[in-house]
Amino acid sequence: MRLLSPDHPIPNVMRGHEIRSNLSLWADVCVVGSGPGGAIAAARLAASGARVILLEEGGVFTRKADFHMQEAEAYPKLYQDHGNRATDDLGITILQGRGVGGGTLVNWTTCFRTPEATLALWRERHGLVDFTAERFSPHWIEVESRLNIREVDPSEVNDHNAVLLEGAKKLGIETELLKRNVTACLHTGYCGMGCPTNAKRGMALTYLPDAASRGARVYADCRVVRLALDARKERVTAAEAEVLDPAMDRPTGHRVTVSAERFVVAGGAINSPALLLKSGVPDPHGRVGKRTFFHPVVATVAVFDKRIDPFYGAPQSVASHAFIERPGKTGFFLEVPPLHPMLASLALPGFGEAHRGGMKQLSKTSAVIALLRDGFLAGDEGGTVSLREAGGRLSIRYPLAESHREAMREAMKVSARIQLAAGAREVRTLHRDPVVITSERDLAAIDGRPMGPNEIAVFTAHQMGGCAAGADPAASVVDGNLRHHHLSNLWVFDGSVFPTSLGVNPQLSILGIVSAAAERMIATKS
Amino acid sequence: MGAALLAIGGGAFLVLRRTVRAAKPRNPLLVLSLDEYAIFAAVAARVVAVDGDSPSTDAVDVAGRADAAMALWPGSVQVEFRRLLRLFENALTGAVFRQGFATFTASTAREQDARLRLWSRSDVAVFRTGYQAMKRLACACYYAAPETWPATGYPGPPELPFATEAE
Repeated sequence: MRLLSPDHPIPNVMRGHEIRSNLSLWADVCVVGSGPGGAIAAARLAASGARVILLEEGGVFTRKADFHMQEAEAYPKLYQDHGNRATDDLGITILQGRGVGGGTLVNWTTCFRTPEATLALWRERHGLVDFTAERFSPHWIEVESRLNIREVDPSEVNDHNAVLLEGAKKLGIETELLKRNVTACLHTGYCGMGCPTNAKRGMALTYLPDAASRGARVYADCRVVRLALDARKERVTAAEAEVLDPAMDRPTGHRVTVSAERFVVAGGAINSPALLLKSGVPDPHGRVGKRTFFHPVVATVAVFDKRIDPFYGAPQSVASHAFIERPGKTGFFLEVPPLHPMLASLALPGFGEAHRGGMKQLSKTSAVIALLRDGFLAGDEGGTVSLREAGGRLSIRYPLAESHREAMREAMKVSARIQLAAGAREVRTLHRDPVVITSERDLAAIDGRPMGPNEIAVFTAHQMGGCAAGADPAASVVDGNLRHHHLSNLWVFDGSVFPTSLGVNPQLSILGIVSAAAERMIATKS
Repeated sequence: MGAALLAIGGGAFLVLRRTVRAAKPRNPLLVLSLDEYAIFAAVAARVVAVDGDSPSTDAVDVAGRADAAMALWPGSVQVEFRRLLRLFENALTGAVFRQGFATFTASTAREQDARLRLWSRSDVAVFRTGYQAMKRLACACYYAAPETWPATGYPGPPELPFATEAE
């Protein structure tokens, strides 16, 4: 039985503890970040003959050594800020991957092409005139083939996702089966902790080995702290990274400096704008870090009389976009998250006996999550990323607007109805004082609950924006080719370029849009 | 506001009230002081509030796990969290919330729950944020421990029977 890929699929990857002196390197292209944007860009550029060096802040993690299906191990190791990333007020918990492969190490494998409604909005409102399905389709087709993206078979829908599927069906709410990037998946349910069987076709098993096989060199545990600019601030001259000790995630004192003709920043939303801010790149209109979008998530949890076992099975196999278009209001879509004890304990409200009561019913618990399509309404600017002090910690702010709260209230009502229709004994919101719902008449109480920071649990697993693409330099950071408006040899290739959120899980959008942009970058004379 | 309140925790810690060190660390501490370890152990005990079906927070060494987790945090975040613990423990904080001049560790379980509840519901954002920070760390450290899973109905990760065969 040959299900597993080789455990060390990227040849010549250099790790922090192997770098024992300062290094000065030269490349045609230096790529910062190895998530979907950085990985596919590195693969495309290397295939074109460019000498590519890729710098990644996180470590090299492999199935054998690191993916043991343990939350205690996975979150500190594989997530930004050791699993503690959040908005400044802790009002929104931010789940964001970190390591060679970026978010694809830990995402739940859900793949959507960018919706036409999203592309149309970007064309009309942000001047991205050639952001069309026709242009991106060849790239999506190639990515779907490379990552083996396929729709799940109905037999792969676990009891947890079946709550959404069957409850929605009873209410006449449209759902869809999801597409996943897996090969020979055993449905363990641990995608979020690093795939323990290498079934997930993440970047570490696909585009990064592709890039490496064409000569690209990957340096892990190298945190780029600054892009050096020329005196006129028209070009990037070097990327300066501090080497991290992979055991303690502390600087070793060594540095890696990469000089290159061109630079690609692909650290993901939050980290990419932060790097530009730390580097003092020209930003005359103050756009870096603005328009940061999260698909803010609220959930309802339901208790059934039977076991749901939300721990196991393909984490996500069903979604509903029935509420994505709400004229004049913020749309939302529904999915199901995997539930394991640690993550569930963070979501459940209260403490002491009340909290423990919820935890004791975890095996019979279902959660439906509603993800808000933020940034679509005029005036919805989302959040911001900035620096607390020069070169120091990030400040991440995301004030929920009334349009967000309205969508959250409506989404919780819809989710609760679905769970009740699926046979739930009781549904609870994640307000500080949960609304307990056993029938339709209980739903109105949702309208009266406060929804300020830390008065309801809000999450994000999809970070977008912060280096928005757009035709107008006064309103964006990069142009329609994802090239920086003011630095001629800098491109930004990740989800930070999205001028709004997507309305779908972002992985495939990043891959397809960056692939198309990389094609143009290659065609552009140096 | 937040910084000022945290400064109270660090700078104006009431010396007339001492932390009760009911919990003792099993291993040398990496970040927390002995007092801070005891404060967090007391907080965790009320946040998780186990019953007879589950191991205690001390049995799981939640405070020790938290100390190890904090060792990976940036120094400035460590400092803030330690200040937060001292502010929460501070007898003055109890007085502000009209709970008398008792430190958290010297309070009864009922008084401790009341202080946690007041912080979680405070109109002052930094108190709600502080409550969340302590609650999340306590819950994460407790429920990440395999010995706590049976009470939740979580059987744990599955066996992967093919692993050695495939490689």
